Amino acid sequence: MTLLHPQARLIDATSGEVADGAVLRSLVDAAVAEYAGRPAGAVFALMSTDIPTIARYLAALEAGRPIALLDPQLARESLLDFVDRFAPVLVTGATGEPPAGYRADGGDWVRQGPAAAVHPDLGLMLTTSGSTGNPKLVRLSGAAVLANAEAIAQSLGITAGEVAPTTLPLFYSYGMSVLNSHLLRGATVVLERTGILQRDFWNATTTYGFTSMAAVPYQYEMLRRLRFDPAKYPTLRTLTQAGGRLRTELVQDFAARMDAVGGRFFVMYGQTEAAPRMATLPPDRLADKLGSVGLALPGGSFAIEDDEVVYRGPNVMLGYAETAADLARGDDLGGVLRTGDLGRLDDEGFLFLTGRLKRIGKVFGVRVNLDDVERHLTGHGAVAAVAGEDKLHVFVEGADQAQAQVVRKELAAWLDTHFSGLDVRGIDALPLLPTGKVDYRTLEASL
Amino acid sequence: MTELQRLRNAFRTSLDLAPDAPVDDLQYQDNAQWDSLAHMSLVAAIEDEFDIMIDTDDVINMSSFAEAVRILGKYGVTFDE
Repeated sequence: MTLLHPQARLIDATSGEVADGAVLRSLVDAAVAEYAGRPAGAVFALMSTDIPTIARYLAALEAGRPIALLDPQLARESLLDFVDRFAPVLVTGATGEPPAGYRADGGDWVRQGPAAAVHPDLGLMLTTSGSTGNPKLVRLSGAAVLANAEAIAQSLGITAGEVAPTTLPLFYSYGMSVLNSHLLRGATVVLERTGILQRDFWNATTTYGFTSMAAVPYQYEMLRRLRFDPAKYPTLRTLTQAGGRLRTELVQDFAARMDAVGGRFFVMYGQTEAAPRMATLPPDRLADKLGSVGLALPGGSFAIEDDEVVYRGPNVMLGYAETAADLARGDDLGGVLRTGDLGRLDDEGFLFLTGRLKRIGKVFGVRVNLDDVERHLTGHGAVAAVAGEDKLHVFVEGADQAQAQVVRKELAAWLDTHFSGLDVRGIDALPLLPTGKVDYRTLEASL
Repeated sequence: MTELQRLRNAFRTSLDLAPDAPVDDLQYQDNAQWDSLAHMSLVAAIEDEFDIMIDTDDVINMSSFAEAVRILGKYGVTFDE
């Protein structure tokens, strides 16, 4: 399978280098040929935002060579853990001394013995964006990745005329899906690495005529701080939002900003486990379905089973991988994804999320929804709640001891529980994952 | 404390650097600390420290410590040492 439409174009915003048509095709073909000369096994790619890395990524998908996309900033120790656990045949973009069993070859590490066996359907692997549990890989088939790119392109109406910048890392499922859906439609993707807080980004917006921009909630907070005004950027008429719940006030705010210039604001819902998109809220329904994450993508469907959102569609993962042996597994899920999210569907099929199944704590034996606790405390600024041993721990950004006590008393009254079941402490800044989500694992580890 | 020291401390606090870390040569994104999230925190810290409101253009132009010094000059903060 290929994601590469013959008209698709990559532009490096720093160098101005353009790769399209025959040039991009030959880069991909060369990488396909290179993979063909390798023994069987998976490729683990440190997924930088540059043309050669993307060409090798596209080639892996075409060659049916399973590829895992990793954060190029990954600590060496974490990278070695992945290599040790999954025994890939090739680690691309790796610097430094290769571990035992690998030799350095240019910017790659090449395995010297046989690599872990891989299932013929395995196409792409991503690390979980989930904030709890062990670091594991999501196994996706090439067909699931292609089906999702197609469904996204369809629901957003992506055409060859679109120009999208990389506002998110490519090893993150949302960033990857922007790349995939645009290349599939013969559109242009501009490889921009500075981000929305830099002058270079906004200069590039004008220079290359960005038509759309993908962002996660914390980036919308930044855009608001920057007093983002789409009237200044006449080509930029589509904004998409995923990567967690955006507060309703900001949804309305950005919908209004885009509406004022005849543009569109898409609220979306997905999980890495679904390659990743599951739902999109059509902009013309945003006002009367406020708070909804939209309708299932073409080819997919939602059901609510025991309050849990269950998604069925061609883009559902094969399963997780925690060890090398898992790479040889086939389809464990049969196209059915239990999302772990709680929600409801209205009579027109619009999905409303109400919480997270697994974000549940207990205080003195009573179930407490950690998301609800955070929502209740939003008046105190950025807060994060994690479950302890029959106890609730709440971190409040910038709070001193006195403020923490106020929060603790308020929360105890609201939960109708004794304050000794609650631990509230100040923290300078909540730890965040590269995706901008709160890093709950680090918070739990700090207890 | 001089204005320069106050600015250096705002950088150190926002970027989570040691109290005596050198900051005068810092550039945006040249180390892991100064990312977009730290940038927002830095802008807020500078606004609080000097009791000013920084314009959008200045937020996105503040790409180094030296540039921050220059930009603050526009807001009447002077850095004589």
